[in-house]
Amino acid sequence: MLIFIFFTVGYLIYSRIMAYSLAPTMKPADFHGLAIWEIPVAYLVDYFSHGWICLLFAFVAAGLIYEFIPKEAITKYMGGNKVTAYGLAIVMAPFLTVCSCTMVPLFAGVLYTGAGIGPAMTFLLMAPAANILSILLTGEIISWELAGVRIIASVVVALAAGIIVSKTPWGKATQKEHRVNSLASSSKIEIVKPPLDERLWSALKFGGYIAKRILPFFLLGLVAVSYVEAYLPEDIVGTYLTGVTGVLIASVIGGPLYTPTLVEIVLGKGMWDLGMSKGALLSWLMGQPYDVANALAVSRIVRWKVVLTYMAIAWAGSVIFGLTYGALSRSL
Amino acid sequence: MKEVVVEVIGVDPPCKRCQATYKSVEEAALTLKAKDIDMKIFKLTAQSKDTIAKYGVLVPPALAINNVVKVMGRVPEKKEVERLILTTVK
Repeated sequence: MLIFIFFTVGYLIYSRIMAYSLAPTMKPADFHGLAIWEIPVAYLVDYFSHGWICLLFAFVAAGLIYEFIPKEAITKYMGGNKVTAYGLAIVMAPFLTVCSCTMVPLFAGVLYTGAGIGPAMTFLLMAPAANILSILLTGEIISWELAGVRIIASVVVALAAGIIVSKTPWGKATQKEHRVNSLASSSKIEIVKPPLDERLWSALKFGGYIAKRILPFFLLGLVAVSYVEAYLPEDIVGTYLTGVTGVLIASVIGGPLYTPTLVEIVLGKGMWDLGMSKGALLSWLMGQPYDVANALAVSRIVRWKVVLTYMAIAWAGSVIFGLTYGALSRSL
Repeated sequence: MKEVVVEVIGVDPPCKRCQATYKSVEEAALTLKAKDIDMKIFKLTAQSKDTIAKYGVLVPPALAINNVVKVMGRVPEKKEVERLILTTVK
């Protein structure tokens, strides 16, 4: 098992040194002259011939991080002081929520205990925006520069949303409504750690579980992307997905299209190849937190007004950051 | 016959990993019955107010034995559940 982990990490470093590209290498021009059914096949073969190690690494890393992160320490402090809670929400959300089913309970937990709606909101926005899998894949597939910018942008937007929502009247009302008075004493939690070999095994199993859930969508996404690259004319992308309009359009379609499947990264890469600007690409990637499924789950706990507020802030944030990044990197 | 109260804390609607945890617990209960231990298994919802009032913020799936959370944020294997319960009963 250790050998397997070392192999994965080692091979990734090796492939880096040998300067393999881990991203899809096919360019739109390569698709000309292929029959319709050949397009996805050619694309998938091309992708997996060098992308597999990157995916393997991402899943193994996610499994290991999730297993070994001290969850009880985090949850203990999350319910307390405001500043600590904001900090923890930012730092820990990306690691805690590789599995989507933990998002809503943790959101509720932070909201009901002492920290209140601000940190809960920050956590909720931070978690999908910068979870460890999507950052790893953004870095590998698109560029580490963009992955870095994505993290910074997510932190700022998540903090802003948390603080703003906690100041609104309806945010405060929600907080009051949900306050739970009797706080659990930490003596009720005594985590018993199993031996190391069992933990490593369960880390790998979890990595495999995430892979099993995400890969089918990821494959479908790749098929879709192959058609986009093959048939979407470059001048359409050049006209609509650059400049200020590009950022606006990208930020709007990025939201509803988002599925927790990392497809948006590959699709973004595809459109970037076709001439989408870097600014629009960032807006596109930041579109996830206000996706519809997520909002629905949350609206069962808090009021609609709160959901709408945070969606508006997330959208504004993605536009502002898209424009700023585009302007700074001279690619608008 | 020794009694042990086991709470499986998951989410509602149930997620796969919470169901897997519940299954480990059920299987462990069958084995432990032979050793004269009676497990009372309850399901708790992690995002409900009652659960949070009792245990605070949790990362599901979690497992509490006799009102003490022993496992959090991971799926325990059957033998791990058995081991935890045997140490609690002792």
